[in-house]
Amino acid sequence: MDLRPLALAVMVSAACGGHEVAPAARHEARIFAGGIAPPAGTRAVLENPFRGDRQSAAEGERTFGAMNCDGCHGGGAVGWVGPSLRDGRWRYGGSDAEIFQSIYYGQAHGMPAYGGLLPAGTIWKVVTYLQLLEPPATVPTQSWK
Amino acid sequence: MTRMAVLTLLAVLPAGALAQRGDWPMPAKDYAATRYSSLGGITGANASRLRPVWSFSTGVLGGHEGQPLVVDNTMYVVTPYPNVLYAFDLTREGYPLKWKYRPPVDPNALGIACCDAINRGAFYADGKIVYNLLDGHTVAVAAATGQELWKTRIADLSQGETTPVAPLVVKHRVIVGASGGEFGIHGWLKGLDLETGRIVWTAYNVGPDSEVLARAGTFKPFYDRGAELALTSWPADVWKNGGAPVWGWMSYDSSLDLIYYGTGNPAPYNPEQRAGDNKWTASVLARRPEDGTLVWAYQFTPHDSWDYDAASEMILADLTVNGRPRKVLVHFDKNGFAYTMDRATGEVLVAQPFVEVNWAKRVDVATGRPVVDSTKLTGASRGNIKDVCPSLEGGKSPASPAAYSPRTGLFYLATNNMCMDYQATQATRIAGTPFIGANTPYHAGRSGRLGAFIAWDAAAGKKVWQTTEPYPVWSGALVTAGDVVFYGTLDGWFKAADARTGTVLWRFKVGSGVVANPITYTGADGKQYVAVYAGIGGDWFLLSGDVRSDDPADVRPPADFMPDIARHTSQGGIVWIFAL
Repeated sequence: MDLRPLALAVMVSAACGGHEVAPAARHEARIFAGGIAPPAGTRAVLENPFRGDRQSAAEGERTFGAMNCDGCHGGGAVGWVGPSLRDGRWRYGGSDAEIFQSIYYGQAHGMPAYGGLLPAGTIWKVVTYLQLLEPPATVPTQSWK
Repeated sequence: MTRMAVLTLLAVLPAGALAQRGDWPMPAKDYAATRYSSLGGITGANASRLRPVWSFSTGVLGGHEGQPLVVDNTMYVVTPYPNVLYAFDLTREGYPLKWKYRPPVDPNALGIACCDAINRGAFYADGKIVYNLLDGHTVAVAAATGQELWKTRIADLSQGETTPVAPLVVKHRVIVGASGGEFGIHGWLKGLDLETGRIVWTAYNVGPDSEVLARAGTFKPFYDRGAELALTSWPADVWKNGGAPVWGWMSYDSSLDLIYYGTGNPAPYNPEQRAGDNKWTASVLARRPEDGTLVWAYQFTPHDSWDYDAASEMILADLTVNGRPRKVLVHFDKNGFAYTMDRATGEVLVAQPFVEVNWAKRVDVATGRPVVDSTKLTGASRGNIKDVCPSLEGGKSPASPAAYSPRTGLFYLATNNMCMDYQATQATRIAGTPFIGANTPYHAGRSGRLGAFIAWDAAAGKKVWQTTEPYPVWSGALVTAGDVVFYGTLDGWFKAADARTGTVLWRFKVGSGVVANPITYTGADGKQYVAVYAGIGGDWFLLSGDVRSDDPADVRPPADFMPDIARHTSQGGIVWIFAL
C-alpha cells in the first residue's frame, strides 16, 4: 500500500492546522525494551480535538458509513470481518493517537490507510464517534441456563 | 480405439482413473461434482460402529471449509489463511507428515476477504497439488516432495479480489476465479497452463462480448437473443465494478467439453445503483476449458436484489425427466429454487423451491424467468423490506455442496431456514474497501428450526425426506454406495444417516462446528475411511462472533437469531478420520 508520507504530511498540516507534521507512530501501551521509552521529542502529542463532542461524533458516524468502514467493522462497529470497535478493547491501542494512526496509516491484516482519502479533522471525528460507543453489557462473561 | 487415442485418454484423465481406486483426487470426487463414492464398506447395518481413528490440529483457527484430497495413500490438507499445505503418509502408523508447504501469503488479504479467511481446497492433477492462496495467487506443488513448481499472481487485492476458490483442472488447464462481490470487483474466470502456471485466457463474467468471450455463432443461450447481453443489461460503466465473483465449485462434462460454474452477486447490494438484469451475475456459465469460449449462460436471479449468489455447484447427472432421459445439471441456488437443466443447452426443465421462498412465486420455465413478488423488491428508496425468504445466506449455502447418488437417484444437501429484512443504502466504491449498501438482519423461517438436511428428487422437483437441525446446516454432503450419507452441523456433530430414509445412524462430536465437506477413500489396508474437518467459520465468523476466542481485543455479543451457538462450539481446526 502506498503511504506517500510526504504528501500526507502536507495534507495533515493543511487540514488540521495544529499539526505541522504527519503524526508519528507512537505506542503508549507497548512494552519498551529495557523499560526505556524512545527519547522525548520524537513523539508528536496527538490529542483528539473533538473528544466527547456529540456533534463531531454524529459526523464521524456518517463518515464511518460513507467510507465503507461498516462494511468490515459492521454497522454500529459491532465487528464483522474486521474487529469490533465498540467492545472497549483495542488490538492496536485505544489512545487518541493510536486510533487516529490506525485509521490514518492503516494496519496489517487489511485495514486500509485512509490518510490519503480523508483530512485529519474528519478522521478525528471518526475517532470521536468510536470513543463514545458504549460496550455491550454481555462483555466479558457469557453465561447460559 | 487407436493406440494414440488410448494414450491421449490416459494423459487427460489421470484424476478420473485414480478416483476409481478409492482415492479422492478433486474437490467433489469427480468431474460431475457428485461427491458420490462407489465404496460400500460402510453401510446402514454397520455405520453405528464408526469410530474416530485419527485427528490432527491444523494449527489454524479460521473457518475450515473445503475438503482433504487422498491420492496414492497420501492425504493433502489445505488450511485457511495462511494456506499451509500438509501431506500425510497414510501408510505409516499415526499418519505422520511427509512434508508441509508454508507459502508467504499477504496478511492484507484478511481484510479484503469478505467472509473469513477460508480456503475451499486443492485439486490433484498430473503429480501436482494445485490450489489458491487467499492473496490472489495460484500455486502448484509437487505431490511427491512438496516442492513449489510454479506460483502465478491471478488476482489483485487492491481491487478487492481474493481467492479462496478451489481450482478445477481439465486436461492441461487450471481454471480459477476470484471472490469480491462485496468489493465491487469485475468478476472473471481464468485458464492457466498446468505445466507453467502461465495465464492463457481471461474471461470476464460481465462486460462487452469481447471480454466475456461470447462469440457470434458459438454463444447460444437458451432464453436470450442478441449481442452484448452482459453490457446492455447494465447502466453505462456500472458493470466495471459489477461483481459476479467466482467462489463456488466447478464441474466438467468431457463429452460436451464444457465446464460449468456459477457467478456471485452483482455489486452493490443496493439494486437501484444498477438498473437492468445485470448479466451474467447470479448465473450459470458453460465454457470451453481450452480457451474460455462462452457456449451458453442462464441467469437464475435477474437484477438480483437480495444477494442471491449462484456460486453453488452444478451437479451433472443423467435423469429421466417428464419421461425422457436427459443429461442434466442440478443446482440448488441461494435464492431457494432447485433447478434441473439441460446441460447441453441451458434449458430449465424443473425449478421448484426446496426451502421457504417468498421473493418469487415460481420460475416460469418457458421464459426462464422468476415471477417476482414486487413487494419484496429492495432498493435504497424503498426503505426496509421486511421478511424476505430465504436470507442472503441462501436456502443452501454455496459453501456447502450437495451430493448425488446414482443408486438412490437422490440429491443430498444442507439447507438454511432463515429469512431477512433488507434495508438497502447508497454505496460508494472506494477500491479495496467494501462496496455493499445493505443492512440485512436475519430471523428464523416459519418452523423456527434454523436448518435441515434434506434429500431431493431433481426429476420431480420434490423433497423426499428431511432431518431438521437447531442451527443452519453449513457442511457439504457425501453419499456412498453403502447408501450412507454424511454431513456435519454447526454445533459440532458429524453424522451418518440412511440415504433412503434420513434416519441418523451415528454421530460424533468433533470439537468445533463443521463447515467442511466430508470425503471417503480406501486406506492402505483396503478399508473404507471417512474424513472431514472441524472448524466453525466462514460467515459464522462474522455472524456469530461469540464463537471466537482467539483475540482478547475483539469480543462480540451473540447473534440475536442464534444466541446460544457459542454454548456448543468455539473455533477449531481439526482433521478427523473415521472407520469401522
